[in-house]
Formats: sequence, C-alpha cells, structure tokens
Amino acid sequence: MIEFFSEFNEYWSIAVAEISFPLPDLGEGLLEATVLEWLVAVGDQVERNQPFVEVETTKSSVELPSPIAGIVLTLHGEPGDVIQVDAPLVTFTVADDSAGIVGTVPEEAAPKRRVRLSAVLDED
Amino acid sequence: MKTDLRAGTLSAPTVHWQQHEPPADVGLAPVLLVHGFASSTELNWMATGWVRDLNAAGRRVFTVDLPGHGSSHAPLEADAYAPSRLLQHLLDVLSRAGVRPRAADDAASGVDLVGYSLGSRLAWELAALRPDLVNRVVLGGMSAEDPLADFDLAAVDRFLSDSTPIDHEATSALLALMQRAPDANTAALLRLVSGIKTEHFAPKAAVPTRPMLFVSGDRDSVATGASELAALANSEVLLLPARTHTNAVSSRAFKQAAIEFLAR
Repeated sequence: MIEFFSEFNEYWSIAVAEISFPLPDLGEGLLEATVLEWLVAVGDQVERNQPFVEVETTKSSVELPSPIAGIVLTLHGEPGDVIQVDAPLVTFTVADDSAGIVGTVPEEAAPKRRVRLSAVLDED
Repeated sequence: MKTDLRAGTLSAPTVHWQQHEPPADVGLAPVLLVHGFASSTELNWMATGWVRDLNAAGRRVFTVDLPGHGSSHAPLEADAYAPSRLLQHLLDVLSRAGVRPRAADDAASGVDLVGYSLGSRLAWELAALRPDLVNRVVLGGMSAEDPLADFDLAAVDRFLSDSTPIDHEATSALLALMQRAPDANTAALLRLVSGIKTEHFAPKAAVPTRPMLFVSGDRDSVATGASELAALANSEVLLLPARTHTNAVSSRAFKQAAIEFLAR
C-alpha cells in the first residue's frame, strides 16, 4: 500500500500543475483590497465562475469568481489582510494539460458591469 | 441562469427594473430587492452574489434602480425623490411584474422584500402600507433614524462651490461615501437627500405586521436603533460579526439567513 501511494504521488505530481492568480484590477484606480471571507478552503474543488472569495475595496464589497476549475492549494492571506493588485491571491492545482495554456487571470475574471438594457437618460 | 427575460422601464421618470428567472422555480413568491443610498442593482445585488444565490435557491427576483441611481433616470426636481414617490415606483414595478395579492392557498402569491439601508426603510414602509401584498421582509443595515435627515445640504453646497470645510461630521462622511461610490451621480444624490428630507421617517407610526428579519454588521455605525424597532415588530435579529455598514451586504451568512427566512 505504501509503495502504491508513493508511486501514485509521483505520478500525481507529474500530472498536475500549480497556477497562481493575482488579485485582479478591480477598476476605478483601486490598488488593493481587503479579504473579508474565503468562500472555499484548501483542498476544495472549485468550478470555473464559482465565487471563491469576498473582498472589500474602499468603494464596495464584492465576490470574485474563479477564473478556472481546480483544487485550492493555497489561499494567500487571512480575513482582514490587505492584498495589493497583482499580488498572489489564490493558487490552484489543475490537470497538467490545461496548465500550459493559462498563465494569467483571464479578462473575464474581473467583475464587470452588467450590460445595461435601457439607455441612461441623464440630463445633467 | 437567465436574467433580464423581462426588463422594462416605467415612464416619467424612467425607472429601470429587471426580472431574474431561477433555473428551477420552487414555486414561492418572487423577491424584490431594494438597494441602498448611493448604490445600485449592480453594486448592491449583482456583484455581491445576491441575485445568483436567490436564483439558485429557486426564487424569482426583481431588481430596480431607484431614481438617480444605476440605469434609472435622474430627475431634476427634488420632489421626485420623496420616499412616497420611491414607494410608488416600487409598487409600479410589482404591478408590471404581475405580482398578485397574497392568497392563503397560493405560495407563489404576494412578494417578499429584501432591502439594504435606504432600501430597508422603503421595505419597512411598503410592508406597513401593503400587508395584503407583502409576505416576508429582510431588512439589512436598517436604521430607526433616517441617516440622511441630519445631512447639511447648505454646508455641502458651500463645500462644492468654494471648498469651505464641512463642520458636520456625518455630512462630510456621507458626502465622501457619495463621491467614492462607483458611477454615482452626486448631483442626483444631493437632490435625493433633499427629497428624502421632505418626508421624515417615522417607523413607529406604522409598524409592519408581516414577519421580518433584521440583519446588520455588528460594527455598523450607521444602522442605529434597529434592535428597538425589531423588538417593537417582534422580529428576529441577526448580527454579522466584524461587519460594517459597507461590507455587510456581501456576507454569505447574510444571504444564507435571508434565503432560509424567506423560504419558511
């Protein structure tokens, strides 16, 4: 059994890769955000677009969706910690075949304004 | 998750609202979300995950941008922002969305309300005004005193014209909040403050009889007097540890408590 696990781990370490994601630019000139609450724990399987952390900026508090599917390896910070934009926020382990094609946070990872369906009738 | 299947605008002034359909409707009443001062549907309910979580719980959701906020019109006259006018907009949205009065044999009838801050004041007044329509109410960041009532508009006018310092601390804090808020229309927000001041909030004059849940951050310095109101209305209270007026709204514990309360 021990040998089996040893071999398995060796195989596993080859078959997966680690990918870190930095805190994305949340817009409006913000340089940092405070971690309010992690919505996932180390070891959790996270799906793409699943919210994984709640952060607060000086303007509002938001949930951030995961840019990829993966298993949480490291959460970089505790609730209350201030994270700088572009500093590591979370590290996932993912299947190796997807590791090579993703290296940075895809653009859709940043929270976007919804497309608005009606014109803003702003007379000011 | 489909959103915006039915979206619309209400005339004079134009109020933007949306319906967000759940993937699987559990057959309970729809939920109207009412955002806070200097916020919007996007900031208060979308970016924070509220619409997604309510939809995932099988609830149909209506959102509305209050006048001067989000995608809604920003009228030039302060009267358009009086609380009674804001309430009329909410009732118009419910009417257009096809909400029917509560019926004992129909769990999908009526409407549930979730408000935050100013939106909670409006939800309180709406529940008191229309117990025939409103089922259950969640009041987030609710204050017994109107935080905008003491706002010194004259001091703000002086500050904006020649940078005369604002002596009143609460006023300068609220102005800072307005100017920080993404996409906020400060001129419209000042008109709203002026309109709000024309109708003093007197929550004890009309206490809703419908079931209500009060939720606030335990570090919320804006939401004062809520526990007294909750006791008066025989309502439940949830305090969120280490949360403020600004960051309580995205709390998962808040959303889960609201979803559970509204499903009872």
